Amino acid sequence: MIQLERVAKTYTLKNKPAVPAVHGVSLNVEQGEFVVITGRSGSGKTTLLNLIAGLTRPTSGQVLIDNVHLWSLSDQEQSLLRNRKIGFVFQFPSLLPSLTALENVALPTVFGHREGKRDAHMRAARLLDEVGLSDKLSAYPRHLSAGQQQRVVVARSLINQPELLLADEPTSNLDEQTEQEIMALLQEIHVTRGITILMVTHTTQLVSFGTRAIEMAGGTIRNGSMVVKN
Amino acid sequence: MNLVRLALKNIGDSAFRSWVVFFCAALVTGFAISATLVIRGAENSLRLVRERLGADIMVIPSGNTTRVEHALLLGVPVTVWMPRAVVEDIADLPNVAAVSPQLFLSTMVNASCCSVPQMFMIAYDPATDFTVRPWLERNLEGGLRLGEAVGGRYVFVPEGRNDILVYGYPINLKGNLEPTGSGLDQSMFFTFETALEIARLSPMRAERALVIAPDSISAALVKVKANADPSQVAVQINRAIPGVTAIESTDLFRVQRDQTLGLLRSAVTLSSIAWVLSMALMGLVTSMTTADRRREIGVLRALGAPRTTVLQSLLAEGAILALAGAATGIALSTLAIYLFRDLITHLMGTPFALPTPLSLLVLALGGLALALVSVALATLFPTWQISHQDPATAMKEW
Repeated sequence: MIQLERVAKTYTLKNKPAVPAVHGVSLNVEQGEFVVITGRSGSGKTTLLNLIAGLTRPTSGQVLIDNVHLWSLSDQEQSLLRNRKIGFVFQFPSLLPSLTALENVALPTVFGHREGKRDAHMRAARLLDEVGLSDKLSAYPRHLSAGQQQRVVVARSLINQPELLLADEPTSNLDEQTEQEIMALLQEIHVTRGITILMVTHTTQLVSFGTRAIEMAGGTIRNGSMVVKN
Repeated sequence: MNLVRLALKNIGDSAFRSWVVFFCAALVTGFAISATLVIRGAENSLRLVRERLGADIMVIPSGNTTRVEHALLLGVPVTVWMPRAVVEDIADLPNVAAVSPQLFLSTMVNASCCSVPQMFMIAYDPATDFTVRPWLERNLEGGLRLGEAVGGRYVFVPEGRNDILVYGYPINLKGNLEPTGSGLDQSMFFTFETALEIARLSPMRAERALVIAPDSISAALVKVKANADPSQVAVQINRAIPGVTAIESTDLFRVQRDQTLGLLRSAVTLSSIAWVLSMALMGLVTSMTTADRRREIGVLRALGAPRTTVLQSLLAEGAILALAGAATGIALSTLAIYLFRDLITHLMGTPFALPTPLSLLVLALGGLALALVSVALATLFPTWQISHQDPATAMKEW
């Protein structure tokens, strides 16, 4: 499903030396895998995730999603691919503060133009129910706890029934109990929906939730991949 | 949820930025609209008065140009006299096609007849007249008879009466003329015969008599022959007839026109300064708020919003605020001009005619377009910049 071929990303800032974030990474991720990418801060794991999502252009190398070269697409096509195939769970609070939980979950449907508002809201309500927030449909992000906000984000990531879920440190701002709840939720999504998940984390204990673990250091994949379970 | 609704939600969420853009749009539009209303209104008013005079040249006693102009523009009555023989003298000059005399009269101070402290009254000679009658006949069949008058737009018959008492003489108001925005709107027009009758009866009927100097007139209106140059005829009159001043109608209200021109220059300068400052302020505030919303915009891009959609959404926010601000600016400036029109006339020394609903609509549409273009220009660069930023970088920099 995902193919990276010698992908490199170097950040160039004005009046500062270039910073190589990822270099020479090749990786294949098959449909249905739950890959956990670990590594210390600055190891390049978030950059790798952004490269896979097409959120940043690689300095060199190829990124393919379902055999499509991501950077051969126009911005419109790339955005549509992201909208329909990829769900995101970010590390930071990523809900729009001016929208309710229901509106936040339904937001990606606005850019896909596939269905009407009523259908989108019905599906968003079902997803919020699935993540245990059926009583928070009209709540604004400021009225939700960090854990609840992250559940809304998970629900939002599923609204367009994606084939791939990219999660960047999804539990880094949560307490231990909520972290376990969110991880259990992601695992359940992986099992019940068969969605391919790529999760980046600096917490090595979370590796057990995936089917494969990859460790990154200095912008490259270290010691190949480790199969956790199948 | 759609992009407009998303824009509306964001407007509510960025209250400071929203108020600044709204206020700037209202300020720029309000300034432009009020300046245009006053200046164009003044120009229109001067043009309408000149057109209503209907002559190529106006001849008045020397030294009274300003007073006569004030009378015509502001309705401040003036009583000036020159010998009636001037009419024949002018008629004898080459290139003169027609001459018609007029009397400038005034009601008594605070007379019960009138809505103004002193009403300006113009009497014309139906036998020679070529200026009043044409527009009079357009509005009134058969012209005016003894005891009849037409009034400017704001001359009314007092409540409970069928006529207007002028020096105790009942005047039958036959109609009202189209507004000019000038003193003529508060003036009354009747024939020489009516004027002389009022003067004859006034010692018996009024506290004070209406005095019309014998064998005198206040002004002579001159029409030149086809292909003749009015300015040369005016020079000819000034040379040939002592004690009078001939003013070409295009030269009338020169002072007021210069004043309007000066006002126009000041308004353009002030409007330009307000526009530039508003643009800078809107650009700055938009830069600040889009910088604050970098991560949010990065998230939108990650969720599948194309660059164009993000740009459209941000510009839609600006457009909504621009239209709301401009509509408020237009409404408030128009209301202020309407409510304070007398004060503005007094301060400017030049009347102005309020525009017709159609021209007001055109002006309002122009104001809305100005606000839209201004806001688009001021916010385009920061919004374009943020919408074209790498989403990963946008999400990183908060």
